Amino acid sequence: MPTSALHVARTGLEAQDARMRVIANNLANIGTTGFKRDRADFATLAYQERRIAGQQSTGETAFAVGLNLGTGVQVQGTTRIDTQGTLNTTGNAFDLALDGPGFFQVELPGGEIGYTRDGNFTLSPEGQLVTSQGYAVNPAIQIPQGAEAITVSPDGTVSAIAPGGSEAVQIGQITIASFVNPAGLRAIGDNFLVETGASGPAEAGTAGENGRGNIRQGMLEGSNVNVVEELVEMIETQRAYEINSKMVSAVDEMLRNANQTL
Amino acid sequence: MDRLIYTALSGMNAAMDNQRATANNLANASTPGFRGEIFAVTPATVRGEPPEARAIARGFVRGADMVGGKVTATGKPLDIAVEGTALIAFQAPDGGEIYSRRGDLRVTATGVLENGERLPVMGEGGPITVPAGARISIAADGTVLAADPANPDAAAEPIGRIKLVSPEGSQVVKGIDSFLKVPGGGVLPPDPTARVTSGALEQSNVDTAETLVAMIDAQRAFEQRAKIISTAGELDEAGSRLMSLS
Repeated sequence: MPTSALHVARTGLEAQDARMRVIANNLANIGTTGFKRDRADFATLAYQERRIAGQQSTGETAFAVGLNLGTGVQVQGTTRIDTQGTLNTTGNAFDLALDGPGFFQVELPGGEIGYTRDGNFTLSPEGQLVTSQGYAVNPAIQIPQGAEAITVSPDGTVSAIAPGGSEAVQIGQITIASFVNPAGLRAIGDNFLVETGASGPAEAGTAGENGRGNIRQGMLEGSNVNVVEELVEMIETQRAYEINSKMVSAVDEMLRNANQTL
Repeated sequence: MDRLIYTALSGMNAAMDNQRATANNLANASTPGFRGEIFAVTPATVRGEPPEARAIARGFVRGADMVGGKVTATGKPLDIAVEGTALIAFQAPDGGEIYSRRGDLRVTATGVLENGERLPVMGEGGPITVPAGARISIAADGTVLAADPANPDAAAEPIGRIKLVSPEGSQVVKGIDSFLKVPGGGVLPPDPTARVTSGALEQSNVDTAETLVAMIDAQRAFEQRAKIISTAGELDEAGSRLMSLS
């Protein structure tokens, strides 16, 4: 007796559970600077062929249709939806937002380069521009001690007035990375993404060029999570979970019935 | 022993297969572009002297339900939803052509345009590849446009057109790999009037309310057949009692 209807329904429960986790993570990060929402991608599992269409049914005739039974569903992966988040003015000179595609480059501990849209930077005790975790922006931006009126232009040029000086001079340049396939970047937590074979290598360059976004000083990019959208998806997921659990109990009842009746 | 139990057993097997097909439909209620399976049970009648008796049930997955699924806006420019009944052509892993309504497209590291099931999208002359770094958009007639980010003033260049085909008048079956194809390996004719909506995705066409009814139906059919087996057992016992010598 094939009982795999139970297992098929179980794959549905697992997939909806994973989707709910993605939604929960989106909602949990609604206030995270530069966060991009994820979408769970569903894919059908393999089919089992019980009978092939065209197989002989008798000496002269063949089955017109086959009997292919699916084995359920799986969450194949997640896709990050890289739409722009809202820009919020903070007035802080070291808060930088990207208006358009691209990523800030940050040197992670261990030397790897992390990519982020979170431009909530600050100064280290040594005067270097760092993330809130203390990781340095790459290439490094060194702000001289006592520098005044630090400005970051839309193309990433950092200028400041040296102590005692009267004219702003360029003290650094923030470069922005772009990717052929930004959706292929891998999220490693802490708002950082790292390059993978699917994303292609980073093409670092000037902000505002080659499709890279402009830098907006004194602003932060909010998350692109839309509460209403997530709530609707949450209800949909919940209902889909419920119907799959109904299927589990229906098949269970069939088997119980067979056990009791026979 | 009465052969009635074999008839009932075949019915129980068919009901369990039916339930599995239903479970698969329900499990895929969130898979983009999924086409539900239609299950049919046909009686296989034993022909002979009248009256014809003892029909053994035989289950079939008759095909895919081609009703359109609901379309939801996703905000992702590479998501496309096909209007009407047209299908998107994809390159099968064996090099042939298969069809799907699943339009969550993306660009791989090598520039190949593929969908969420990792199937390369077919253009007029094979899979569509896009130039590195280009910003891709998809027009309503399926034309893939690539804009050069270094030259924002230039108009986006068409680099290919997604092959949209019409399934009208052709036999399309759902294969073991869950993709729609022409039996025997043919291709469907292109549909020049087909339209797509970008930034939207067609969901599964599984109607959960209807599928739940089908689930209860299969459950009850299974129970009825179990009951027939137990009734056959009782009949057999009664017969044995009548025949007993003591």
